[in-house]
Amino acid sequence: MNIELTAEQKALQQEVREYMTTVMTPELLEEMKIPEYKEGGGPEFRKQYARMGADGWIGLSWSRELGGRELSHVEQYIFTDEVVRSGFAYPFLTTEAVTPVIAANANEEVREEVVGGVRDGKVVIAIGYSEPNAGTDLASLTTKAVRDGDDWIINGQKMWTSLANFADYVWLAARTDPDPAKKHKGLTMFLVPTDIAGFSHTPVHTLGVRTNATYYSDIRLPDKYRVGEVNGGWKLITGQLNIERLSLFTHGQVDALYQGVCHWAAETPSPSGGSLIDQPWVQHNLAKVRSGLEVVKLICWKQAWAMDQGALDMADASVAKVYGSEFFVELYRLLLEVMGQAGTISADSPGAVLRGKIEFRWRVGSILTFGGGANEVQRDIIAMAGLWMPRTR
Amino acid sequence: MDFNIADELKSVQELARQILADFTEVEQLKQVEQQEQGFDEKLWGALADAGLLGIDIEETLGGTDLGFYALTALCEEVGRTVAPVPAIPVLVSAAGTLRRFAAAGQKENWLPGIADGSLLVTAATEEYNNDNPANPNCRAEAVEGGYALSGTKTCVPAASQSRRILVPATTGEELVVALVDPAAAGVSLSPQVVTSGETRHELHLDKVQVPDAEVVATGGKALDAMNWVQQATRTALSAMALGVCDKMMRMTGQYTSEREQFGRAIATFQAVSHRVADCYIDVECLRLVTQQAASLIDQGRPADEASTIAKIWCGDVTHRVSQASQHCHGGTGVDRDYPLHRYCLWARQIELSAGSSAQLTAQLGQAIGAAYSSP
Repeated sequence: MNIELTAEQKALQQEVREYMTTVMTPELLEEMKIPEYKEGGGPEFRKQYARMGADGWIGLSWSRELGGRELSHVEQYIFTDEVVRSGFAYPFLTTEAVTPVIAANANEEVREEVVGGVRDGKVVIAIGYSEPNAGTDLASLTTKAVRDGDDWIINGQKMWTSLANFADYVWLAARTDPDPAKKHKGLTMFLVPTDIAGFSHTPVHTLGVRTNATYYSDIRLPDKYRVGEVNGGWKLITGQLNIERLSLFTHGQVDALYQGVCHWAAETPSPSGGSLIDQPWVQHNLAKVRSGLEVVKLICWKQAWAMDQGALDMADASVAKVYGSEFFVELYRLLLEVMGQAGTISADSPGAVLRGKIEFRWRVGSILTFGGGANEVQRDIIAMAGLWMPRTR
Repeated sequence: MDFNIADELKSVQELARQILADFTEVEQLKQVEQQEQGFDEKLWGALADAGLLGIDIEETLGGTDLGFYALTALCEEVGRTVAPVPAIPVLVSAAGTLRRFAAAGQKENWLPGIADGSLLVTAATEEYNNDNPANPNCRAEAVEGGYALSGTKTCVPAASQSRRILVPATTGEELVVALVDPAAAGVSLSPQVVTSGETRHELHLDKVQVPDAEVVATGGKALDAMNWVQQATRTALSAMALGVCDKMMRMTGQYTSEREQFGRAIATFQAVSHRVADCYIDVECLRLVTQQAASLIDQGRPADEASTIAKIWCGDVTHRVSQASQHCHGGTGVDRDYPLHRYCLWARQIELSAGSSAQLTAQLGQAIGAAYSSP
């Protein structure tokens, strides 16, 4: 039992942290003020993403055969943690969750095209799972793919297809068996190029970021873009959920917010004399954040470590998801309380603190409590897998 | 980074769990509770025979020297069985401090006897409204050949059975840590019944003469010793709380899976199962911060912040898991014939010992304020 980073791990952390300062150029920071480009997709984002590819930073966890460095999960987490901390809109779901699945299951020609493109920082993939009537109950999705000679004809609608407005492909889950024995058995995965005829998207403006509704209208998709077995999509979807979670909750991003508020409170005078940080109520909130953050760090490390051991516990994974998502929301509130009215001022207005980042994080915070498997479902899993309690109904 | 628990440690924990379980059947616990001291000497002897009392004592002094982390694993098992033994005051607060800060002769006097179970040494770390042993109100007056100690300590565990009590005091200029003989002139012990059901003692010292040979440390070394004891005790309490809470939560999971109302197990109501799932999350959080603090102390690394955070979580989690367990058990939970109540009582005892969550959160906040204010 030794819960600290090794010297090599610390060196990697430092290396990534330093490199990312060169990625977050003033031009990129400027570009990210435009709501359209907040989550990436602008020309400066494209430039820096491609530079990360050229410098060999993409796909570190992949096999050497694919051009990766076969990093352990712990090292991969350290990389992820630092990239998220930097604020760069790195497309983790593309690089860590979807691409390895494509590499293992796609037709050779498509594999070259997509995996190579991602490795070079030229390809971004959007996730097409959710539909207007299929959220947490994903297996009830109805987007259809029907075989027609060497092609598939795809019809349907997806919801919350983030990044689809600039992505190169959508990683699409479609129903290929309309009447399977069990509804999760009739699904197949496809890669849909976003420049294909019949694909369109409209923006959905959320509390925080822009996302999209995407439409698939009589798309004729060559069979080479099918990934994995026909009707074998479910295990490709669920197989990468844990990896996905490892990039949703990281310590660095919120630790940086906490430290930013600490500095701000130390520099900001209190009306009753001294600095804001001398006030007991401010100290109370900061200490609450600090003690909760410690667990975020430890949970993330333990998850990554357990994945390296090949022993990720099902209940533990759900614990991480529930704790992480609910604590993040609590943290935003505790830090915003310290800032008070100043916390409400948006990035471009005079008087904004920390470029309005915390208020913005709060806006997107609730996505994580229902997204990635609603927390109610996670609690069901904890009760069953962790405590052997009977299934609720 | 390695969260692995070494095989050797796993077998120690297994052994401890077995022995503790053998001695903590409800009838046995009831019997010990009838006695005034509330201390199961037979169990203590069995733990000694198995080599478990000397986990954090050098081999040359009769211990097995597995270290502090292993000792917290024993504390966790004591919590899991709410065994009536003074593991934390004797093995952590007293023996752990002596091992690290006492002179060779003092260690030889006391540590072998602690390891073989033949004697107890305890520690008086708390005063009224002051749980910081590094800043005592108790006075030490330098006298010929030693010190005269005067003052009052509260809720001292195992005080009446111990051969010595580790006591911090101040000369006004420097800290003194000494071993006080409870039989010495000027010592009075007044029994205090506390929430856990144990009898603790108010220790009153009136110019108690302590010879130099019984002075463990003075000045900077005494300060280091008392900072260590505070961090180690908080961490050990967190480990014990982990055992207490893990067991309460599992009892609740099992009880609600069996208890039927409206024609179905109440665990099949999401409102019930989610409350138990929340306990599971809490217990995992407590486990992680406790393991971190314990492994830092084990390696002799700074653990002030880590042990403070562990004890903050400990206080919050004991309260929440205890109340949720009580609630989900309905009337059974409050019935003294059912074992849950002991866990709830211990949960509250631990929560309020060595600093509450509110107090430690304030301290942590002050430390954060100081760290960011300094230029």
